[in-house]
Amino acid sequence: MIQPQDICVVIPAYNEGSVIAEVVGGVRNEGFAHILVVNDGSSDDTAAQAERAGAVVISHLVNRGAGAGAQTGIQYARLNGIAHIVQIDADGQHFPEDIRKLAEVMDQEQADIVIGSRFMSRNKDIPMIRVLYNKLSNVFTNWFCTRWYSDTQSGFRMLNRVAIESLDLHIDGFGYCSEMIILGEKSGLIIREVPIRVAYTAYSMSKGQDLYMGINTAMNILWKLVSHPK
Amino acid sequence: MQLEIYQVIVPIISIVFIVSLLQRFWAGKVGWQESMVGGFFWVAVIFFAFFPDLISQKIAGLFGIKSNINAVIFLCLGLIFFFQYKLFLLVKQQQSALTALTRKLALENRQKEEDK
Repeated sequence: MIQPQDICVVIPAYNEGSVIAEVVGGVRNEGFAHILVVNDGSSDDTAAQAERAGAVVISHLVNRGAGAGAQTGIQYARLNGIAHIVQIDADGQHFPEDIRKLAEVMDQEQADIVIGSRFMSRNKDIPMIRVLYNKLSNVFTNWFCTRWYSDTQSGFRMLNRVAIESLDLHIDGFGYCSEMIILGEKSGLIIREVPIRVAYTAYSMSKGQDLYMGINTAMNILWKLVSHPK
Repeated sequence: MQLEIYQVIVPIISIVFIVSLLQRFWAGKVGWQESMVGGFFWVAVIFFAFFPDLISQKIAGLFGIKSNINAVIFLCLGLIFFFQYKLFLLVKQQQSALTALTRKLALENRQKEEDK
């Protein structure tokens, strides 16, 4: 059974000073003491707030994108011999208590990556426009996969040591979510999904992807598949 | 042969670029493939400046394009796409390098803090 002390919770964050302390506090309250915030070149007090809330903070000097932040978290885990990492979004849309669900599935199914899926159960709170973007992204990403994944864009994921060692993400932006799945499959990693809840607020809606970013993400994934096919 | 002004200026500019390319090659700043492509391009520009009608008519004939003006336009579009691609490639490389550097510095700074 995977214990909370075996898990490092990685939170890539960019200008999340107003919510990051609450997110870190929520994770700590669930019994996960090892929290890493990757401050991705924020111009606000994200790093100070996260540190005050009890997280270890790694700061990018300049903003490089969500994918770059996620890969820095993976790299940190690799260097420090961490057995499992859980990535969650910094905008407070995820429920930290769901981390245990991911850990359970990883344990039971011997999975290397477990994705928290917003679409495996009925989530009425998800705005229609987000549902539409995500469905389109699913079609695009699953085109390159052998299995069908219900939420390819979820930022709530758990990785074990095998995945930490083998994943080398090249996409700096949001496209890393798709890249991780495609790359994981190619590397022979076992990927599973588990239903999670999400809370969309006006704040979290102001973050994340819009149509332009979605097109950009799709282009980045195509470019990545052409330039780094392995 | 009556030379127009552009038939003097364009070859001079091309020769300057060829010399610069050779200097960069000897200094080891560019590889032989890139030097060959660049050299071929600038030599082609010189020929094109001297024989614009003949070359554009040959290109038009080769690709089945009706007039030599259209051939010049298509050739220019092709070149623009080529340079756009080169630029895109360069930007991607720079972005990757910047991310790698940013990550390395971030991890090193963290390590220093932990060592204190």
